[in-house]
Formats: sequence, C-alpha cells, structure tokens
Amino acid sequence: MYKFFLCLRYLKSRALAYAAMLAVALCVAMMLIVVSVMNGFLDKVETAAKGLFGDVVIDTAGLGGLGNYDELIAAIGREVSEVEAASPFILSYGMIRIPNTEYRRAVQIAGVRLPERVKVSTFGQGLFVQEGVTDPTFDPPLEQMARSAAQAHEFTLELYRRKRNEAGDLLSRKATEKANVENELAALQEVLDRLETALQRQQTALERLELVSRLLPEMTELRRKIGQLKAQGKTLEDQEYRQTAEKLDELVQQAKFYDADHRIILGLGIQGLVYRTDEGQTVRMMLPGHQVLLYVFPLGRQMTTSELEPNRAMLTVVDDSRTDVSSIDSEFVYVPFETLQQLNNMHADGAQPARCSQIHVKVRGHRSERELEQVAERIRGVWAKFRREYPLAAMTDVAVQTWRQRQARVIAPIEAQRTLVVVMFSIISSVAVVMILVIFYMIVVQKTRDIGVLKAVGASSGGVAWIFLLYGAFVGLVGAVVGTIGGYLFVWNINPIHDWVSRVTGLTVFTREFFLFEQIPNTVNGVNALLIVLATIAAGLIGALAPAIRAARMQPVEALRYE
Amino acid sequence: MSDQPAIRVEQLHKSYRMGAVSLHVLRGVSFDVPRGQFAAIVGASGSGKSTLLHLVGLLDRPDKGGIRLDGADASGLSARQRNHIRCRDVGFVFQFYHLLPELNVLENTLLPAKVEYSLPAWMKNRRRLTNQATGVLERLGLKERLRHRSSELSGGERQRVAIARALMNHPKVLLADEPTGNLDSKTGKQILDVLQEFHKSGQTILMVTHDASIAAQADRVLHIRDGRLVDQ
Repeated sequence: MYKFFLCLRYLKSRALAYAAMLAVALCVAMMLIVVSVMNGFLDKVETAAKGLFGDVVIDTAGLGGLGNYDELIAAIGREVSEVEAASPFILSYGMIRIPNTEYRRAVQIAGVRLPERVKVSTFGQGLFVQEGVTDPTFDPPLEQMARSAAQAHEFTLELYRRKRNEAGDLLSRKATEKANVENELAALQEVLDRLETALQRQQTALERLELVSRLLPEMTELRRKIGQLKAQGKTLEDQEYRQTAEKLDELVQQAKFYDADHRIILGLGIQGLVYRTDEGQTVRMMLPGHQVLLYVFPLGRQMTTSELEPNRAMLTVVDDSRTDVSSIDSEFVYVPFETLQQLNNMHADGAQPARCSQIHVKVRGHRSERELEQVAERIRGVWAKFRREYPLAAMTDVAVQTWRQRQARVIAPIEAQRTLVVVMFSIISSVAVVMILVIFYMIVVQKTRDIGVLKAVGASSGGVAWIFLLYGAFVGLVGAVVGTIGGYLFVWNINPIHDWVSRVTGLTVFTREFFLFEQIPNTVNGVNALLIVLATIAAGLIGALAPAIRAARMQPVEALRYE
Repeated sequence: MSDQPAIRVEQLHKSYRMGAVSLHVLRGVSFDVPRGQFAAIVGASGSGKSTLLHLVGLLDRPDKGGIRLDGADASGLSARQRNHIRCRDVGFVFQFYHLLPELNVLENTLLPAKVEYSLPAWMKNRRRLTNQATGVLERLGLKERLRHRSSELSGGERQRVAIARALMNHPKVLLADEPTGNLDSKTGKQILDVLQEFHKSGQTILMVTHDASIAAQADRVLHIRDGRLVDQ
C-alpha cells in the first residue's frame, strides 16, 4: 500500500520529477515525429509507385520493346484470374517546346491508353479538366476545357488583383510613413510580372478555345466525311477526298486544334509551365487549347546513334495531371499510346509488330506482397508459353516484377534510413534514461533518512525499491502519454507548422523538389506509438533501477544516522 | 508465555569496523524488561546505548548473543519476519523525530499501518485505522494539526507525532532513542509526561538517554559504560 502512496506523494512534491517527465515527453515526441514522417515517406512512395505503375509491371530489358502486347494481355486475362486489368505503356524521352517562344524543356513521355489507363493506375485522379471523370480521354468535351481554362484564368486574375492591391498598399505606406518597403515591393513586382506573363499566355489559349468552338462543328463534319470516304476506299487521288482533307487542314491550321491523336496532358509541375506562389498556389501558364511541339528521341528501334533523329509532333494541350509526387509531376507528359508508338518508332513495320515498353497490371482486390509475387510468377508462366507462340514479341528478356520489387531501389534506402534514424534517436533518447537515473539517484540520496524510517517501521527492501521503480515507471508513463499527444499534434499539423516556421524564419526545411512530395507526408501508426510508450515506461524503470537498488540495500541504522 | 519478559537481551556483542580499526561497541550485555515496565538506559555518548536500542528493535543484527521479544527468539529470523516484527511489535521514537516531510501529521501516523496492510486490506480497514490514528493524535493534543506538514510543527509537536506513529500498530515495546534530546527542557518534560501516560496504560517502554535526570523518570534505570551494563 505504502509503495503507491509514497510514490504518488514523491511525484507530487518533487519538481525534479517534472523535469524528468518533460525530458521523456520530448524524447517520445521526437521519436514519434521522426517515425511518422519516415513512415509517411514510405507510404507515399509506395502508394505513388502502385498508383503510377499498377501492382505488377511487365518490363523489357532492352529499348526495343514488347510486341504483341494486346495478345499477351488477353492471354494473361484468360489464364491469371486475379488480374483485373492490364494496359500497355510506353516510356520515352524527349523535349517540349512552346511555339513562338524560347521555352524548351526535356521531359519524360508516357504513352498511355485512355480511359483504360485508369483501371490499372491512379492516373486520372489528379486531372484538372476531367476532374472526377471516371473515364478520362484525350478528347474531353470542348465545353469542359473552356470551363476549366476560364476557371484557371479567373483564379490568376483574382490573384493578380490581390497582389496589385498589396503593392498599392505598400506604395501608400511608403509615401505616408516613409517605410522602407523596397525589398517587399521588388518581390511583389516580380510576382506581378510573372502573373502578367501567365495572364497573357492564358489569353491565347482562351482565344483559341473560342475560335475552336466556332470552327469545331465544321471540323467534326469534315472529319466524319473523310472517315466515310476512307471507308469507301478513297485516297488522296480522289478529288472529293483531297478537297475535304485540304479544307480540314486549313481549319486545323487556323484553329491550331489537332485531332484526338495529337493531344497531350501535361504534368502539373513542369518548370516554366506553372508558377507556384510563395503561398503555395499553383498558377497555370499552360491551359487546355495551348499547343506544344513535342520532340521524341525514338529509342524504340535498334539503330546507330548517328541515325537518332528526333521525331516531332504538334500537340494540343487538353488537360493536366497531378500525382503529388513532384518528381513525376515535374517531368512527365502524357500522350496517346499509339501516337507515342509512332513517334518512338515502335509502330509495326515489316520486321516487327507494334511494341510497347511496359505492361502495367492491376490485380483484383488488396493483395499482400507475397500474393502479388505469386501473381507475378503466374504471369511469368504465361509469358514463357507466350514467347514460344510469338517469337517476335520480344528480342530481349522480359522482367515481371511487383511494384515493390520495382521500387526496391527507392524503398530500400528509405527503409534503411528509417531504421538508422530510429536507432540514432533511440540513442539520443537514452539521454532521458540517464537523466532519470541521475535525478532518481539524487532523490534517493535526499530520501536516505526517509528510507531508514520506512525500514524502521517494517518496510521491506523490496518494498522500498518498488517505491522508486513505480516512480520511474510513472515518470515514463506520464512522459510517454504527454509526448505521444504532443508528438501527434505536431505530426498532424506538420505542414502548417512547417509553413509557419518558413514564414517566420525564412528557412525552408522541406524543399518540394528535393523530397518528391508536395506536402510533408506523415503516417500515424498506432502500433509504433504503443511500442514507443512501452519502451519509454521500460526506460523509466531502467533509469530508476540502480537508484532503487541502492535504496533497497541501505542499512536502516546507517540511513537513520545519515545527515 | 505470559510470564516471559517483553524484552530479553542475552550476552549481546556488537562491533563495527571503522576503516582499519574494529570498534567493539557492545561487550556482552544482558538484561530483561518485564512487560509493562518503563526502563531507561543511561550512558555517555559512545557507550553503545543507541546500538543496543537498534539491536533490540531489529534494525541491526548482533555479532553474538540473543534477543527475545515477548519470549520469541529474534535471532535466526528471515528478513521478512524481522520486517514484520518491526512493523507489528516494535515502535521507534528517534531523537530527530524522522517524520516524512511530504506527508501530513495524520499520514505520518498512519505510515506503519500502510506498511502493514496491502492495498485491498487497507481500503477495507481505512476508516478504522484512520479513526485509530486520529484517536492517538487527539490523545497527544494534535487534533487541530492533522493536516499539517511536519515543517509546520514545533519540535515538541513533531516528537508527539513520532510517538503517535510509533504507537499506531500497538507495539509490544516502544523504543525511544533520546526522545527529548532535541527539545528544550520544558518541552522535553511534556514528552516524558506523554511517555509516562502511555506507560501507565500498560505500554512497555525502553528509553535510552545520556541524561540521568530524564532517566530518573523511568521505573528502572540501567547504566551502560563501554559496552557493558554497570551498577551505577
């Protein structure tokens, strides 16, 4: 009885105990924050990888690509029942240019099939024009594009007005209070300049969309007619066909609005195509309706380097995509699969069938890594059989990997880092254990005479030790609980806190480009929290152990004599 | 067993090591304290009287010799049994009171009961034990001081709380080590009166002091010199 009683009494009246609790709480909060952020990074990398490339990826080792992919997909669908969907994918490299400007930039080009793509990946969730559309395409309705474009323009205009007002305020302050606002004004002027450029660029897209909406009915009619004539076996030799084609060409040139094969979806984050304000707002420089020139370095066919000449195509921007993985958003553009196939020289020719570079497979339901590996193994089996039937399908090896295996190079270092950080922070946290030890040692020394009294009234050595062990455990428990709450509050508000720190101190800890993601990720994990709390209580006990043993071993006579 | 003395000490020897020197503090002390007696041991400082008291109170173990409390042999008991006896059968009063500063008067008094009872047993008997402690404290004139910390009390009051604590578990013997040593003579007298009062109601008391005039209050005075009992 007296153990709990005295333990609580000592807690209540010892300021030192609160210092120990605070130290423990800080250590716990620190551990939780670090573990949550590291877990958040891992989770994000994992979901991003899964979201972008599906559960299982069929990849070719060379650049030549994989032919007969549609047949392979059909075979996989037949023989592997767990597979929900599969879609071919081309990855290539190139450059985009904006006509009539100096802008050019190297990009990665993804050739995707829409809307099929959304069945295997999360592509489509972050679209701008086709937001919330279940089956996005490269040919969204013109009204949708116009609406989104107008909305983006309106947003920019609104921002521009606000910034201009701010500048006005600054100027009047400068005039009335003679405040030194030169730096702020200069910064604001830069923002205004950028916004003006954005507004001008947006204007061209808006005008073009308007023009297109006027010309589109006729263009559609002409395309339909050409389709009919083609179906009748007519060629450019035929006068009607030629005239129709020329007329369509003329309209397309006028509107600069290309057919559904010549469309592009931009990653929202490509440098120069978006402007991100300090407050984190995204201003689009490029809107649906804009045209870009895409150069593709056709790696899809074996050839010598000197023969490597870029293919190019004029494309109309129809949408933009955001995955929140900044390394993806800042580098990828998406074009129709067959278009990239052509541009990348992966189309069918005399010697080879049409090819893709990867097939992304979505597996039904939520599967563990082990189950996915089993699915991958069965797909390998399908492939082994398939390549005997289609000897031309791939000249090189084909690798079938789960998303985790594919991302192992990215995930493994992060996992290793997490372990390292946890170990390092555990070592740092041992400071708390040492602190408890020192504090408790002092308390035991201060309490020597009390210990003598307790033994004189019959307390056992074990009982005396328990007082201090309970005390240590309690310090650990309270510290852990306070630290857990504090740590989670911090983690849940980590982005606002980070923004605030950046604003106040001018330091940016989390650079978006650097860390892949738009936001500091965090995953709060109950099991981790529980482990940390238990470890902390154990740490409290360990810290209190030596002092408790010392207290237990005290001879009552000597303890009573202690001055 | 009823004819057994409350305390029987037989040929006690005790020595301490002080660095290289061995200090033979007790050299064969024997005496009985019959039940209900108020005995005093008088000796100069360093005569071994406190050591003797600690041995009787089982706070220390003798090198040689035996101690019987109420007829039961205390030598050869386990630590657990000794703890139990210290808790149940022996009450200690120290020169410097030794109250726990974090506890108030009532809690200090209840300390032996809290040591004796487990948590569930304590919960069951709390009211009875609290009443008992309050009763003792009232008897000692501390009714108004129950919730005070020891730092808020005078020396005499503190010693009375210490006496209350020592008597809390109705011990068979009350051992007092210079109970008036830290008090002025008037307050010391009051404390002695208190001891006398409890003695009159049947409490066996063994007190050690260096002050012959204080020892004279007891029924019986034993003199100790150089670790031996002497006649005057």
